[in-house]
Amino acid sequence: MTAPSSPPTTWPTKPRPRVSILIGAILAIAFTVYSARQVDMRFSTFADVWTNPLWEKFWPIPWEWVFDRRNVINPLIETFQIAIISTVIGCSIALPVSFAMSRLTTPNSVTYYSSRVVMNIVRAIPDLFWAKLLVTAVGVGAFAGSWALSIFSLAVMVKLFSEDIDGADPRPLEAAKAAGGRHIPSVATGVFPTVFPAYVSYSLYVFELNIRASLVLGLVGAGGVGRVIEAQRQFFRFGRILGILVIIFVVVVVLEQVSVAVRKRLV
Amino acid sequence: MAVSQPTPVETRPGRPLGPRIWRWVIAVVILVAAAWSVTGLNVSVDRLLNASGDAWNVIKRMWPPAFSIEIKRGVIGKVLQSIYIAWVGTVIGAILSLPLSFLAAGNVSPRLIRLPIRQVFNAIRSVPELIVAVILIAVTGLGPWAGALAIGLHSIGTLGKLSSEAIENIDAGPIEAVDAAGGRWISAMRWAVLPQVLPVVVSYWLFRFEINVRASAVLGLIGAGGIGSELVSQLNFRNFPEVGAVLFVTIVAVITIDLLSSALRRAIIQGGAGPDQSRSGEALEDLTGMSLA
Amino acid sequence: MIRFENVSVTYRGGVKALRNLDLTIEDGEFVVVVGLSGAGKSTLLRVLNGLVPATEGSILVDGTEVVGASARTLREVRSHIGMIFQTFNLVERTTVVNNVLMGRLSTVTAWRSTFGLWPASARAAAMEALERVGIVDKAYVRASNLSGGQQQRVGIARALAQNPTLMLADEPVAALDPVTSRQVMGDLQRINQELGITTLINLHYLDLAQEYGRRLVGLNGGELVYDGQIEDATPETFSSIYGREISSTDVLVDHDQS
Ligand SMILES: Nc1ncnc2c1ncn2[C@@H]1O[C@H](COP(=O)(O)OP(=O)(O)OP(=O)(O)O)[C@@H](O)[C@H]1O
Ligand SMILES: [Mg+2]
Repeated sequence: MTAPSSPPTTWPTKPRPRVSILIGAILAIAFTVYSARQVDMRFSTFADVWTNPLWEKFWPIPWEWVFDRRNVINPLIETFQIAIISTVIGCSIALPVSFAMSRLTTPNSVTYYSSRVVMNIVRAIPDLFWAKLLVTAVGVGAFAGSWALSIFSLAVMVKLFSEDIDGADPRPLEAAKAAGGRHIPSVATGVFPTVFPAYVSYSLYVFELNIRASLVLGLVGAGGVGRVIEAQRQFFRFGRILGILVIIFVVVVVLEQVSVAVRKRLV
Repeated sequence: MAVSQPTPVETRPGRPLGPRIWRWVIAVVILVAAAWSVTGLNVSVDRLLNASGDAWNVIKRMWPPAFSIEIKRGVIGKVLQSIYIAWVGTVIGAILSLPLSFLAAGNVSPRLIRLPIRQVFNAIRSVPELIVAVILIAVTGLGPWAGALAIGLHSIGTLGKLSSEAIENIDAGPIEAVDAAGGRWISAMRWAVLPQVLPVVVSYWLFRFEINVRASAVLGLIGAGGIGSELVSQLNFRNFPEVGAVLFVTIVAVITIDLLSSALRRAIIQGGAGPDQSRSGEALEDLTGMSLA
Repeated sequence: MIRFENVSVTYRGGVKALRNLDLTIEDGEFVVVVGLSGAGKSTLLRVLNGLVPATEGSILVDGTEVVGASARTLREVRSHIGMIFQTFNLVERTTVVNNVLMGRLSTVTAWRSTFGLWPASARAAAMEALERVGIVDKAYVRASNLSGGQQQRVGIARALAQNPTLMLADEPVAALDPVTSRQVMGDLQRINQELGITTLINLHYLDLAQEYGRRLVGLNGGELVYDGQIEDATPETFSSIYGREISSTDVLVDHDQS
């Protein structure tokens, strides 16, 4: 258009950005700069990283060593065992606890609040912290690792599952109670069937999560294939670590495909 | 297993035997797997019996937590250190994953570019941060920068995958409008796609920060600094009251950050009128970075 | 001037959406295209700016060949062609003026627009375009907060901001109520008359076509079956274009005259 049909003064002016957003942005940038200094961020790492003589130790991968049953395969089996037992224990205990933690099905408010507080605290402690603590308490090995992951998967499971119970249809429960049912049987017939599919699907997620976690438990002495990585890194045997990494990679990819397939069939 | 024999098809209506049989089969499989796992763990009976006592002992000895000693040792600075590591890692992941996620999205990127980038995301995601850190620590030296790099690298994979999925779910109309007006690809990304996905993507960054705080605490266990290193040194000397204080500080920090970040996320998503996410779906992403798609 | 010569479009999957079409449109014309659903109306507009590639024939837009043109040439041709969509195609999460500025993208270097460093001339053009459709006061409102009619006006402003010589509108009022439809059609007619922009509109409703169109083009099964002045079109004309009797679903119910 060549000539404006009215003077530009009638045009609205661009509103200034909201102060809260401006302050938020400034704070975020300032915090980033400060954090970067605190962690000794330096790009020179990338300059001399390629000339680091350690890279040579990554190659070749000693496949005979990697495929020797005792070196990697047995610890990997132990990893699976830790993941399986932790999932079974964690998810089993999670079943009653989740019902106690949902507003819909909790027997009383004391149970409700105490279970919530305890579970939130348990979940705030990272999985490997639990592993390290239990290694100190009950000794090095897969036992400590299974215990740690059981606790952590319990905490994850109850968080996910109790929110699904919260969202369940309350009417069957009311009907069962109105018919004079006691609390637990009423929940079992009125709510449990509708949320059971969610329980199964979360259990699968927790299993996937536990496999990933159990791969690294060994770095703090809690058993599984991570213990081999820990041992090899002490001696800078990075070729072996790379070999283990390839195996872990394959395991995780296969696992993901399988769990996607299983979940698709369940839904 | 004998139970898994398929049952005759002529079951009477009203009594579906098939599903019930399957339920039993699955239950037996789970029990067998659990039993096999227990035997593989090599736990003697008396260790099993004594263990809970040992654990309880440790918990008892953590009380009362030795706050004053820990504060003198700078435990607050150490937990902040973990937060700085997580933040820098998240920022690195966010900045690098954003452009890559456009190149990985099926609706705006050609196959030839998209497929290799997705493979890179998958490869990164499948290697645990801790193992990346083990290697980085060897190469760059011990310290928080190695931890931040490991977290950043891992975040590129997870954030890249989530963001590119967000891009794939946008309304394609505005892209067409830019094309029809003679705009370039980059302009379509900036003006038609970015405004649509930014609120969701930023909320993913915040999710990731919450997860990364836990990850950076854990990285301390293998020497990347921060609260994890403090936990290790106190546990190694079996100073349990000090351990209690470290745990307390960790719990407070993690819960505070979770609360702040999830409040911020909710504000961003609602302000952006974003898709309505189920709460447990959000919680899941929160904890695992896996989406419930 | 626009000249279609023997244009055919076959989509992947084998659907022939246009068959050997010949059509010439002079500068400043206001052409309405009608036809059954699936007749190829949208394809006719999209092939004109290359959003859909023609499989055969030649299309000249002001002397530039569109069929087989390079990406660069296409961008150049498209920068002079405004397009208005049935579903508006706005970015609802951003402001009205940002949506309109998308019409200026071809005039600004990629890096400048990427960082939002719009030159003052682009901002002025966007504001003038909004003024032209009467919603300049909404410039800094989020597009999602506008009514359907206002959103389509933003769509028109975005096309106007391109300073186009040709305007394509693909069922621009199909998502609007009857009263708003007439207002938006009125806007398009006024723009055609005041600025002399050649306008090509697909319409579903025959009464709207008769009320606003001057030249009528009818498509059926991808073929041009009618081309003439709208005054000459009778109900028989429409039923021959459609290949069936005209029914009440083919007209927009008249609310504002009852
Ligand atoms: N992208 C595409 N891929 C394959 N076939 C298509 C595509 N777009 C349109 N078609 C087909 O081409 C034919 C013409 O479509 P077009 O969209 O041009 O019709 P239209 O007259 O605009 O119809 P409507 O009134 O429903 O918008 C139809 O048979 C349609 O199914
Ligand atoms: Mg159409």
